[in-house]
Amino acid sequence: MNDDSIKILSGNMFVVSDSRGDIDASPSDPTGLFSDDTRFLSTWLLSIDGKRLSSLSVDNLRYYQARFFLVAGGGEVYVDAKLSVIRERLVSDGFREDVTILNHDGKAVDLTVRVEAGCDFADLFEVKDALAKKGTYYSRIENGSLLLGYTRESFKRQTSISASTPAHVDGRGLTFDVHLEPKQEWATQLKVTPNVILLTGRAVPLTPEELRREAGVETPSVPQDLRNWLEQAPRLECDWDPLRHTYQRSLEDLAALRYTPMAGMGQNLPAAGLPWFMTIFGRDSILTSLQALPFQPELATTTLRILAAMQGTRRDDFRDEEPGRILHEMRYGETTAFGERPHSPYFGTADATPLFVVLLDEYERWSGDVQLARELEFEARAALNWIDEYGDLMGNGYLSYRRRNEQTGLENQCWKDSWNSISYRDGRLPGFPRATCELQGYVYDAKLRGARLARLFWNDTGLADELERDAEDLKRRFNRDFWIGDRQYFALGLDADGSQIDALSSNIGHLLWSGIVDADKADAIVRHLFGPALFSGWGVRSLSSVETRYNPVGYHIGTIWPFDNSFIAWGLRRYGYENEAARIAAGILHAATYFGGRLPEAFAGYDRTRVEYPAQYPTASSPQAWSTGAPLLFLRTMLGLETSGENLVVNPAIPKQLGHIELLDIPGRWGRIDAYGRGSVEMDEQYPSAVT
Amino acid sequence: MASAIDEFFEELGRRGHEPLLAKATATVRFEITQGLCTEHWYVSITKGDLTVSRENLSATSVVRASRDLFDRAARGEENLLAAMLRGEVLVEGNPAVPMVFQRLLPGPHGPAVRQLATAGRGRRA
Repeated sequence: MNDDSIKILSGNMFVVSDSRGDIDASPSDPTGLFSDDTRFLSTWLLSIDGKRLSSLSVDNLRYYQARFFLVAGGGEVYVDAKLSVIRERLVSDGFREDVTILNHDGKAVDLTVRVEAGCDFADLFEVKDALAKKGTYYSRIENGSLLLGYTRESFKRQTSISASTPAHVDGRGLTFDVHLEPKQEWATQLKVTPNVILLTGRAVPLTPEELRREAGVETPSVPQDLRNWLEQAPRLECDWDPLRHTYQRSLEDLAALRYTPMAGMGQNLPAAGLPWFMTIFGRDSILTSLQALPFQPELATTTLRILAAMQGTRRDDFRDEEPGRILHEMRYGETTAFGERPHSPYFGTADATPLFVVLLDEYERWSGDVQLARELEFEARAALNWIDEYGDLMGNGYLSYRRRNEQTGLENQCWKDSWNSISYRDGRLPGFPRATCELQGYVYDAKLRGARLARLFWNDTGLADELERDAEDLKRRFNRDFWIGDRQYFALGLDADGSQIDALSSNIGHLLWSGIVDADKADAIVRHLFGPALFSGWGVRSLSSVETRYNPVGYHIGTIWPFDNSFIAWGLRRYGYENEAARIAAGILHAATYFGGRLPEAFAGYDRTRVEYPAQYPTASSPQAWSTGAPLLFLRTMLGLETSGENLVVNPAIPKQLGHIELLDIPGRWGRIDAYGRGSVEMDEQYPSAVT
Repeated sequence: MASAIDEFFEELGRRGHEPLLAKATATVRFEITQGLCTEHWYVSITKGDLTVSRENLSATSVVRASRDLFDRAARGEENLLAAMLRGEVLVEGNPAVPMVFQRLLPGPHGPAVRQLATAGRGRRA
């Protein structure tokens, strides 16, 4: 997938094509029509008289809709522009494409219009790892529709393709004989539906609309749903135009990434990102819901409910499941169906469980939704229980992880989940279990928040006292055991011997967010966050540039993650460093202007003085839920929005260059409230200014 | 001798209340097929309160699979969600039902723990 690919999506389904609208996927290339982790179209080529078309322009109108302007012919210096072609496509209740051909000539023409279609039914994991298929393919023509299918034992998937006008259908596509008089136009609508074929032979469309119908939930049309979504969100007024644009982009992308899981009773929660992660992720859905809380609080409601409904109840080593554990990832493709992958669901994450409690408490603080805090008491207690009973693998009072599934489980069960993300300064990789530092912060926070929930809503002061004692004890031990005295920062983690994994990483910023850092150590942490080894000028690197494994384009070992930075900014505010929080916000929000307002998952960690623009990480997902949520959290940290009892407190610290910011109709337990702020914080970095 | 899935439903019926189902209100008919024969289990859940019987009553959701598959699931050797994705478990009505019941079944390394919500050291049942 390259950068000029055109993506449209709606929850479970997405289409990635080239700028002509064509799909010509190789086995390892994530282009095509995907639904529920399965590719349902890998070939989709439009031609006229045997020739492919040339692209003039593309309008990516909405996240679910794109329009391609094309001309017949191509490859020559002068394109014969007597025919133009418009492809307008939409992901809504399946995939639909309107093809319109206009004859600009004074003569009548006879054309052979061909849509070549094919499908490899690849599981997204097979695309990612270039695995071979084990089943058989068929193609069939039925009632004028082309049916492309795949069968492996009882696993059956099928793509049905039909047109609204007469077509010659063969096993590899549809052909239309088109006669056009001068200045006349012709149009047809192509409809592509992904299906599951049940044992009974019944075809069930795999669309979010169908899932909601099955669950008896009424579904507004996709455009109406987007209008409702945007109307619910606070309105932003500001001097700096790119911020307005980024905000709009974030809201729309978040709408696009809402996902309707099969087990979710027709409710939505944020999927993690396109193309690899269009599914439920415990961690990603929780962190995105936290970022979006002042803007779209109902994401938190559904995330909490769905993760609760899927909480682990028993030990299953293949799935790394344990009682009380919150899931990591759910998948619906062939490799999951046949137990070649453990994602049904997979539970191998150490942070989603404490973060579940953090989100429940933060949600109640904002919304005043006492009912949900009570409704999820059982699951929140089970999560707190998991931390102590199953999460403390070394018996040293710290949350750590070691996969039980040695073949297909995740080695690193923290947000930096690639194989080489956790290392010592000299580049060695520690053994297992590993207790990374940010996990201890999340546990500390979860215990204090759990105590608040227990005291206020569960009528259990005994548990509240106990959790508070645990938390204070954890904080004391953590500040002793993880602190590297001669370097003045917290170790990335503890290894299996309880020794420090001594790399300097962005994780120290998450510790501020959780509040586990002793007040007298905060200054040193802030100095490191803005030192040359971590701060690039755009943001804080995932790993410091002095570490042996540092690589500015390494996934978790030097790139800059907008979401990571947004939580660091929140942490800086928590410890009273509002100017520093503004500095992070300014860097990432300016970086967003280089990506059309859509922050990628990660971008390169090069020094800003060396590379004047932020270079995208090569295979970054975009849109990515928690990158989409980052500008929202930055608005919160810049305006200094916090709850205090029944009230919203506003305490702005806005970069001077950004000028005036107004966020109107912020939803919460207070009803709706407006927040205002004026840019006052001077930056060390030079940015184009909104105010003169 | 009763099969593993029959034992599971009989035991479920004796619980009366199941905390893991406290948010569920549904009726589910399980259709257990073996050759040409179909046996039924009918489960009615009202906020965790359970009644289980062998009656063939109409239900808001129906889950159908072979006895062999259900037995393996009841022994912790089969995952209902994966089996549903494979097409071996058929669901009419609410597609969330297999997930709900999977959580009640044992895993390969132990039974489903019902007393999950006992947070805090020394407070476990």
